[in-house]
Amino acid sequence: MASIAIKTFVGLRQSSPESHLPKPLPAQAHQRKLRIAAAKTSPKVTGRNLRVAIIGGGPAGGAAAETLAKGGIETFLIERKMDNCKPCGGAIPLCMVGEFDLPLDIIDRRVTKMKMISPSNVAVDIGQTLKPHEYIGMVRREVLDAYLRERAAAAGAAVINGLFLKMDKPTSKTAPYTLHYTGYDGKTGGAGSKQILEVDAVIGADGANSRVAKSIGAGDYEYAIAFQERIKIPDDKMKYYEDLAEMYVGDDVSPDFYGWVFPKCDHVAVGTGTVTHKGDIKKFQSATRLRARDKILGGKIIRVEAHPIPEHPRPKRLAGRVALVGDAAGYVTKCSGEGIYFAAKSGRMCAEAIVEGSENGKRMVEEGDLRKYLEKWDKTYWPTYKVLDVLQKVFYRSNPAREAFVEMCADEYVQKMTFDSYLYKKVAPGNPLEDLKLAVNTIGSLVRANALRREMDKLSV
Amino acid sequence: MSMALFSSPPKTHIPSLSPCPLSKPYLLVKPYIFLRPNSRPISTGATDNGSGAVGSAVVEEKVPKAPVTSSEPEPEPSTLESNGSPATAGSPVEEGFPKFVDPRWVGGTWDLTKFQTDGKPNWDTVIDAEVKRRKWLEDNPESSNNDDPVVFDTSIIPWWAWMKRFHLPEAELLNGRAAMIGFFMAYFVDSLTGVGLVDQMDNFFCKTLLFVAVAGVLVIRKNEDIENVKKLIEETTFYDKQWQATWQDESPSKGL
Repeated sequence: MASIAIKTFVGLRQSSPESHLPKPLPAQAHQRKLRIAAAKTSPKVTGRNLRVAIIGGGPAGGAAAETLAKGGIETFLIERKMDNCKPCGGAIPLCMVGEFDLPLDIIDRRVTKMKMISPSNVAVDIGQTLKPHEYIGMVRREVLDAYLRERAAAAGAAVINGLFLKMDKPTSKTAPYTLHYTGYDGKTGGAGSKQILEVDAVIGADGANSRVAKSIGAGDYEYAIAFQERIKIPDDKMKYYEDLAEMYVGDDVSPDFYGWVFPKCDHVAVGTGTVTHKGDIKKFQSATRLRARDKILGGKIIRVEAHPIPEHPRPKRLAGRVALVGDAAGYVTKCSGEGIYFAAKSGRMCAEAIVEGSENGKRMVEEGDLRKYLEKWDKTYWPTYKVLDVLQKVFYRSNPAREAFVEMCADEYVQKMTFDSYLYKKVAPGNPLEDLKLAVNTIGSLVRANALRREMDKLSV
Repeated sequence: MSMALFSSPPKTHIPSLSPCPLSKPYLLVKPYIFLRPNSRPISTGATDNGSGAVGSAVVEEKVPKAPVTSSEPEPEPSTLESNGSPATAGSPVEEGFPKFVDPRWVGGTWDLTKFQTDGKPNWDTVIDAEVKRRKWLEDNPESSNNDDPVVFDTSIIPWWAWMKRFHLPEAELLNGRAAMIGFFMAYFVDSLTGVGLVDQMDNFFCKTLLFVAVAGVLVIRKNEDIENVKKLIEETTFYDKQWQATWQDESPSKGL
């Protein structure tokens, strides 16, 4: 295009034509450099569309599969357990309902109130600043995951019930990845049969213990153990939790996280988590139950579950034409431990990058196309993650810090900022004057709580 | 304002003593974790008996993968209470859970009328009472109750009460240190170079030294603070490094 412009330009101007002669050459080189899309130089995929396999059929896998299938790519979604009830808090932000077009009937409860309870049982109610249409959705994972998978299947993805075993690396830039998995179908029963699938790119969405991550040597991450008991409590006690979730903080409940009581469809989930003292998780769970004792009196434990939660992304989230998304990549926020939305969003973003890089399945993708997803992800969500990390470092440090945290939560501005950023996943800038007041109040709370703490230490000596 | 933030040592990561069996964490936690000695004095006994609540009646509708019968086999008596708590340091395995009681603690907050001297509340005693309450609760965590909520807010104690009690003694200490260092250094420099105090203050190098001395006295108050400050600095950038790890092997142009 630039060369054509030069030609007309040359035609129009009467001045020395020689000076324009060298122009076409650099113009062409310039032209090639502008088009960084690596796919342009990739060979076309002949006779078929690009094949992509997604290992793991949770929110990340389901969202990725739908986007890929809609983008015209031959998609395979491999999930090991179709009716898996993944142990999970189950909270999704409001923006997820809109962004992923979730039907309102998969949301069991809408939480509009939260209670934060400090180590000395100071209880603060938050949620008064929420508008009537705003809520935190509580879902059952088995319902959400199944819905997303079905939608992906309806868009054209092939959903395979199988357990991923290993992957053979490709021999050349255009050779396929060979996936080995155990396929389960009605005929072979429980044992399953060994199957092979050849694909051009792989998305690892298989969760915190990702096998895909292991096979690409993505490295390890620190993880927290989240332990949860589902408790069926009497109806009158359940009424209190109708639209309210509780968060307990304290050294007794967790040294670096929080204990929670989240309402589910007809029972509550009481749980806690920790990174540094995993061996004491049972003790922390008893302490959480003790703190909530009066409110869950008469309840029966119907299920016990635990699962690891990544604390930070893996050292390598991408290798060749294999990308990790969701928990497999380690996209869980600090402070709140939120992962469902980020899993779905990263699955979608990765799929979009593949669709774009392959021009709707016509060309082979390259590592560079998948890197674009990482760039976009880091740029969009880095501030959110960093802010939550800072909050965790400041407020989950010690009991005085937690007391200050709960005190700060009583402030309306804090509530508004917190909910705005949680529900819409944007770090809202806020009012500078109010921010200053908030900073002063935070420091004041921390100072008071730490001063009391030192007096407490004097008492015990 | 007292830099109390930095004098409380940040929690270090204590490596977990028991081998974590959770390499395949979709299995549930194995029961042998219960048998670790209970080093934290929480009333664990409170959870398993007689409350009729969630403890013994484990009716699991879905049998999990590992046969974890969470029938709480951990009745280790928490005899490690070592504080002068006002109520009974009772044996934990009993029906009544020890609750914090104090005649001045009314309706979930401190009744300021009970702390009066000369018609005005004696804030020092309020602070003392709150300290005792928190200490008690740390050692005997209580259930949070909706009918009896705690509504005490430390900000009702006026700022000057905090200043008088906590900031001023520490400020006195630090100013004393700074003055001693300043006097000695001024004398030392004068004896070495013959430059008097007033002329020293004109010199840029001396002004820098003064700044460093004041900052040092403020930030480093105990020997451990040197390590703490180093750790804090590393902590602030650790998370960023973890996020950028995936870009390390890539060319610098693609980095964040």
